[in-house]
Amino acid sequence: MAVATGTAEQVKQRRYQKRTGNQLVPYLFIAPHLIFFLIFVAYPFFYGLYISFFRFDFLRPEAQQFVLLDNYAKLFSPDSIQFPVFWNALGNTVKFVLYSVPPLIIIPLLLAVLLNTRVPGRNFFRGLYFSPWVLSAAVVGLLGFWIFQSQGGLVNFYLVRLGITPPRWLSTLPWAWVAIVAMTLWWTVGFNMIILLAALQDIPRQLYESASLDGATNWQQFVSITLPILRPVLVFVIIITIIASFNLFAQPFFMTNGGPAQATGGGSTEPVMLRIYREGFERNQLGMAAAMSFIVATIMIIFSYTNFRLFRTRE
Amino acid sequence: MKSRQPAAAEEPATEAESGEEVAESSCGPVELQYWNPFTGPDGPFMGELVDAFNASQDNITVVMTTQSEYYTQLGTAAASNTLPDVAIVHADQVATQAFRNVLRPIDDVVAEAGIDGADFPTDVWNAGQVGDSRYSIPLDIHPMTMFYNADLLSAAGFDAAPTTGEEFAEIAGALSDGTNNGFMVTSGFPIRQIFEMLLYQYGGTSFNEDGTEAAWNGEAGVQAMNWLLQAQSDWSQPNLEVDAELNSFKGGTVGMVWNGIWQTTNVTGEGVEFDGRATAVPQIGTQMAVWGGSHQLTLPTQAEPDPCKDAAAGEFIRYLLENSVTWAQAGQLPASASVRASDEFMAIEPQASIAAAADAVFFPPSVPGITDAYAPLDEAVSALMAGTATDVQAALDDAANRANQILTENRDNYGDAPSGQGG
Repeated sequence: MAVATGTAEQVKQRRYQKRTGNQLVPYLFIAPHLIFFLIFVAYPFFYGLYISFFRFDFLRPEAQQFVLLDNYAKLFSPDSIQFPVFWNALGNTVKFVLYSVPPLIIIPLLLAVLLNTRVPGRNFFRGLYFSPWVLSAAVVGLLGFWIFQSQGGLVNFYLVRLGITPPRWLSTLPWAWVAIVAMTLWWTVGFNMIILLAALQDIPRQLYESASLDGATNWQQFVSITLPILRPVLVFVIIITIIASFNLFAQPFFMTNGGPAQATGGGSTEPVMLRIYREGFERNQLGMAAAMSFIVATIMIIFSYTNFRLFRTRE
Repeated sequence: MKSRQPAAAEEPATEAESGEEVAESSCGPVELQYWNPFTGPDGPFMGELVDAFNASQDNITVVMTTQSEYYTQLGTAAASNTLPDVAIVHADQVATQAFRNVLRPIDDVVAEAGIDGADFPTDVWNAGQVGDSRYSIPLDIHPMTMFYNADLLSAAGFDAAPTTGEEFAEIAGALSDGTNNGFMVTSGFPIRQIFEMLLYQYGGTSFNEDGTEAAWNGEAGVQAMNWLLQAQSDWSQPNLEVDAELNSFKGGTVGMVWNGIWQTTNVTGEGVEFDGRATAVPQIGTQMAVWGGSHQLTLPTQAEPDPCKDAAAGEFIRYLLENSVTWAQAGQLPASASVRASDEFMAIEPQASIAAAADAVFFPPSVPGITDAYAPLDEAVSALMAGTATDVQAALDDAANRANQILTENRDNYGDAPSGQGG
């Protein structure tokens, strides 16, 4: 019966829409978002794709030249000057994703579990851990430089006091990556923590109560109750963290300027976004920079699509 | 960003009539927009000069705007046709900005204002020449400078800063005692500039004359690089990041460092707790050469150039050059030789004792995108200093190969002459 009335209702609605010609209504509802999406996402996206087929400098329209796939061909030809620096930078970004994502998931999860208990002053700590997230990337990068610089920087100052010979954080490997990942952790750990904390607070208390009555330890409760219920949120957090880490730019820009330099071209911590910026806005080769962006975007689209599919089939 | 408006009393409204009587042409009062990148402590000195110019005559009012992210701002202003009437551009950017249609040729304005190229060092004047036309006039020169801790030097028995390679080695060696460093160099900025300076001192050049090929991988380049590596191992520390030498110097544990003249207020006088001084860099190689940059005055592109504004701009530029003593106080050497010879300038220290460097400053060839071709050299010199590369000749050769590819690509990309030239 319920099903039948539902269908009748829908038929009625459809008739009503046809009579009054109100098919536009749903579009009006999404219009505010759609307009901004078209202007600021869709148009730049396709315009970027368009200029990646050109030799392009917006201040020299007279020199604009259609080169078809030349920009892409150069990026895949080992003899070009862009080839080594571009793939080196892409490799650096992937390294950063591998170094930064695990701690960016594990530490916020631990913090969230801790701050979900009745720890004294937990609101203070929630605010404390979240607060660096409000800083801009430039502030975090500059702070990172002054904290890790070798001549009287904060970290080295105390390491020397403790009798430890400090490494050159910003100019040697692997320490440059350690410094960059450390600053990123300090900056963004709070955001993931807040999302996970909100999810934890939705888990019904009774589950833990009955588990402890059955004699489950804290660790067993965490593995058998917390993690399975948290899984959808955790997957979401992992995906957005990977995307955020893939967009690495400001921390190495300010802390190491992409260094330590490599004699073969590029730097050991130069992320792909910084290479694209240099190609486009320092060398003014906007067509090439657009082509680089599209290779990166393609990788991200494939990655996100795969994740989306995996996520959906498991639900 | 800050802008400087004249006081209300100076508004030209009431002075328009008198101004028109004085001027022979039909030009009324003119307002000039003037952009520069002086966001640091140098900005107020330029503001002082602009105020003085506005007060010195009735017809022209200059409104100064200081921009950060300077070339991005110029580029977007060019795209929206809102470029200022007068703008500062760095010497190594003049050709690039000319080819990108941001700047226009100013041969007529220079001639009309009576500015004579003979008053400037040849290289800094030539930096404003792109193809067959002149695009800029040099305002100042900012050379590589030696800063030294006079307390440390005198404690070791040295009264004066070194001027030759032998003196330098003697002092640096005497001051390096395990705690202090006699001399300190980093693996980051400005190490490439220091390398380039030594390269020229040993008789080399960075590029061939027409800027089509890199030339730093000859014998002079290897000598320069070996001197730096030896200096690093004898007197400095390995693997230092950018600014490490300045921070250490300020801590009082370093005898001598080389950095731009713009660091003067940071590491001398009241910036430090010891007797920090600045002087010209020593001659290490077989001839004197000093790395330097230069701020140049330009007229950006306008959809409809206004002869009245151009004449006013010429007058303003001439005033800035003639009064560049005020600008010298901001930590710069005036480009004009006659200003550098004036008693007023000779009274400004340490600028006056660095002034000899002005004639030894070299500039890269005036071709578009030349700064792109420095990127491989930056990487090679930094990698050698950091020890991630050890074969000097191979690293310099490889950097030269990549720079040549970039130069070829740029020639292909920019063409032979700016589109604004010759119609």
